[in-house]
Amino acid sequence: MHTLLYEHLQIYLFVALFLLFCGIAGVIYRRTLIGMLVSMELILNGASLNLVAINRFVCPENPYGLAFALIIMGLAAAEAALALSMIILIYRKYHHIEGENLKELKG
Amino acid sequence: MTTAEIIFLLVVVVTMGGAATAILAGSIIYAILGLVTAMFGMAGLYVYLDSGFLAMMQILIYVGAVTILIAFAIMLVGPLYRRPREWTTLGKFAAALGVAGVTFLVFSRFVKATFGGCGVPIFGFGARDIGRIFFTDLLLPFELISLLVVVAILGAIMLALISQGRS
Repeated sequence: MHTLLYEHLQIYLFVALFLLFCGIAGVIYRRTLIGMLVSMELILNGASLNLVAINRFVCPENPYGLAFALIIMGLAAAEAALALSMIILIYRKYHHIEGENLKELKG
Repeated sequence: MTTAEIIFLLVVVVTMGGAATAILAGSIIYAILGLVTAMFGMAGLYVYLDSGFLAMMQILIYVGAVTILIAFAIMLVGPLYRRPREWTTLGKFAAALGVAGVTFLVFSRFVKATFGGCGVPIFGFGARDIGRIFFTDLLLPFELISLLVVVAILGAIMLALISQGRS
């Protein structure tokens, strides 16, 4: 029987892997802290797509993957709020938000 | 190829293109628009995975809350347009591509070796089932995530007070 294209697990896993690839590359080479935060969101999205795809295709008896994807969304929201308040604090202190020049702590 | 498959391919291309825009765009505003595009694509993938509730939550939380928060932060941290080039040097770009490429190769071997799933099982969980599992089996993670959100909000308020010179 011919299976449809969207009924393969590997396609979803490759999309999630591409999101992880983009996220890691972005975290390493983005210049500003906000760019790094955007890349972190991509990594978290790839993780939750992985969870939902594996829950749907491998063990569809219970919705644990969906629940953990929702938990990841809450985590991402909390992380974004905290990281952005830190970024604004850094901007008020140093007047830039470039990750390369932040070399001192408690300064 | 049916219409559903063509739409699925479009959704995959939109997700990947949005992710690539989010890291390759020169301006940070374009990067955020790329993030929004990727989030909408992810919502489409969730619809194809038979979890419409999660797709709705994706649009509500990511597109409606997180991206708007990042846009507010960009407006608050002043002019970023003076140096619109987002990446630093060619060496750093090559290093990023190298690290991410090695990760991609390692994990793609795992993905190719995965078990393809047991056909197309029936998967119909709605908001009612997810809510029930949050209040029975996953009660501890649910309470912990609420504690985490409270701590994050308190931390953000404390940081705002510190930046005003009060403690």
